[in-house]
Amino acid sequence: MRGPVMKIEDIAVRYGDCWSIRSATITLEPGVIHAILGENGAGKSTLLKAAIGVAPRVAGTVRIEGGAGTIGMVHQHFMLVSAFTALENLVLGNEPTGSFGRLDLAKARREAEALMEKTGLRVNLDARTSDLAVGERQRLEILRVLYRGARAILLDEPTAVLSPLEAEELYTTLGALAEEGATIAVVTHRMDEVIRFAGHVTIMRRGRTVLSRPIAAEERSDPKRLEDVLTRAIMGGEPPPETSPPALAEDAKVELSIEDLVLVDAGGERVLDGLNLTVKKGEIVGIAGIEGNGQRELVRAVAGLEPGVAGSIVLGGARLPAVRSTEDLRKRRRAIAVVHEDRHAEGLMLDASVGDNLVLGELGEIEGPSAEAALISRRIERFGVIPPEPARRAGDLSGGNQQKVVVARALDRIEASPERALVVLGQPTRGVDVGAAATIHGAIVKAAEKGLAVLVVSADLGELRRLSHRILVIHRGRIVAELPPTTSDDVIGRAMLGMEDA
Amino acid sequence: MSSIFSLTMLAESIRIAVPYACAAIGGVWAERAGVIQIGLEGILLTGAFTAVAVTHATHSPTLGLVAAIGAGITLSLGHGQLTERARVHAVISGIALNLLALAATRMGLRALYDSASNSPGIEAFRFGPTGATGGAMLLRVLADPVFFCALAAVAATPFVLRNTRFGLRVRAAGENPVAAASVGISVTRVRLAALAVSGAICALGGAHLAYDQQRFESGMSAGRGFIALAAVVVSGWRAGRAALACLVFGVLEALQIVLQDEVRKTAIGDLIQTLPYVATLLVLALAPRRAGAPEGLGKHAAP
Repeated sequence: MRGPVMKIEDIAVRYGDCWSIRSATITLEPGVIHAILGENGAGKSTLLKAAIGVAPRVAGTVRIEGGAGTIGMVHQHFMLVSAFTALENLVLGNEPTGSFGRLDLAKARREAEALMEKTGLRVNLDARTSDLAVGERQRLEILRVLYRGARAILLDEPTAVLSPLEAEELYTTLGALAEEGATIAVVTHRMDEVIRFAGHVTIMRRGRTVLSRPIAAEERSDPKRLEDVLTRAIMGGEPPPETSPPALAEDAKVELSIEDLVLVDAGGERVLDGLNLTVKKGEIVGIAGIEGNGQRELVRAVAGLEPGVAGSIVLGGARLPAVRSTEDLRKRRRAIAVVHEDRHAEGLMLDASVGDNLVLGELGEIEGPSAEAALISRRIERFGVIPPEPARRAGDLSGGNQQKVVVARALDRIEASPERALVVLGQPTRGVDVGAAATIHGAIVKAAEKGLAVLVVSADLGELRRLSHRILVIHRGRIVAELPPTTSDDVIGRAMLGMEDA
Repeated sequence: MSSIFSLTMLAESIRIAVPYACAAIGGVWAERAGVIQIGLEGILLTGAFTAVAVTHATHSPTLGLVAAIGAGITLSLGHGQLTERARVHAVISGIALNLLALAATRMGLRALYDSASNSPGIEAFRFGPTGATGGAMLLRVLADPVFFCALAAVAATPFVLRNTRFGLRVRAAGENPVAAASVGISVTRVRLAALAVSGAICALGGAHLAYDQQRFESGMSAGRGFIALAAVVVSGWRAGRAALACLVFGVLEALQIVLQDEVRKTAIGDLIQTLPYVATLLVLALAPRRAGAPEGLGKHAAP
């Protein structure tokens, strides 16, 4: 199955009065994995959408050998109906039918089985889609693209939701498909994936393709150099300095101590199951784990947002009382800053201004409008929010800049608090570009230098490695391993799966 | 008390349940496709009026039935145009539909029959034996062509939703319109088609109501469309269970009629009259909230 050659020439895409792509030119050929890299808002996702013809293109040409029917896209947010069986999702939009429009699911099953056999992508066809693991859902998406007869697959940040092992598996499959002649393009933020698996790399910056070239095999032998070259192209200048955790005093006292934390959810499942951990003053502790193993609940429990939690959270030697009133919550807020993992749901009011978002929750703590304006512009400046306009609607910012707003609000506030003790961050740089991530990492390190205890939950092992003094692995609501940040992906990955020997 | 377990009771239960069940199946079609439909009441009423007006003019209950179905489809598609194309909120559009139906049928009564309360009598379908025995009543209820159409709709709906391409796409549009659109399905077209089916089946209930009384009365749907909506929610948006809930409702209402004869003019008679509504409230209060609701109910494929 030889995939089509896709020639995208000098296209421009505009949403309203905002240019998403100013000029992009890329040729995708079958046989290798094409990686598309770039900062947030550089136009990577839009490029894929323009290729499949769903973006409002105002200039340029898209030429696809064999027509648009030969390509399919796997979106960043899966396009699956959770109430359907996997098989129903597989055929949706392309259903084999008998007489009177009757579904021929038996035929679909035969075709799906053959396809799974051929590609090695296995999915339980009879399972309800909502019961499938994230990796399985993604395989289902890829199978669906193939089922529809596409020979080119475009994937938008496919590994953002996967564990390291699953990501590796995905690239192995994509590599095999490419080898058979399929055309594969992947948008990603993770440099290491590009270096290990891509045969061709395209970099976008501010709506333009600034680099598009093959990666030679010998370049892979010096990954540091290649990374440096790519990072320069992405940033359009010097790469940011590597972050590393600040020196930790030998006699640093324990600031946060969590003992036997238990939380039972509405379904009776123990989402936190006797979790123990400690963080010292000035220490950065990373929490690694496969999504859905209690990370979100841990952050919420420390923030005081889980009233049903049992066990104790000790801060600075004193046990935090259960949150029974807003006054309790305010007390906690004076000592703890929290960045929740879902910035859209829990971090921002998208329809409010950047300025309002930057001081959200500090009503009555700021003296007058001019002090507020000064505080807002200081936070914008310190974190380099782009564009630096307080009146701009928060929802109009790129993901990276939205995250800067959330982190700026949390860190800048807590550092000024006389009772400051702890910062908890959930996925602080998810879907955030290299530049913004560097800013955020710098701020986290600075908070630790000021003596705050820092707890970072992240799916990005590279991030944890650069930031943390220690990495704790969470599995099924408890900490199952404590590892130094130098530990290999493989070992951390095994611990994340709950394997004993890790 | 033996009257509770009589053929009369069975006949009454089924007769009463038909309009409820039609409206409920109509509700299932609209809402499984993702369109909130609180306008079932208005479609019932319009269906009843259209059936009577056309039958009165043509002396053909068959033409009346066809016209009622046409009116139901038209109203339902109007609701769809407002919610899916003009993006009016479906609750607003549904209220408008109900008010429009109430006012328009009143105006029709005044214009055609110069009456504020009811139309003249009509000759509806007449199949089955005459006579006042329970058996004869039951046969008449079962031999009614409108009942037959309703039964077919109840039986076919779960099958079509589960086993056909159209049904799969309707469910996809209702569960996740964005995902449905991403695989090339026109969510708007699928929803309009489902709404047409919904309006047709719901109007069937209106025709049944009118033919049963052999005339149209102002506001004769009397909240049945809303009770039917409650049945949809309680059933978890499943056609078979919704129809069953309507049958239970029919039994309770028939009970009230049969028992009322026995305890007529006592305070208990009035209490018994409230039985169906109390039962509805109880079930709604006890049913798991929104379990089984289509996830994309009221959502659109594109902003």
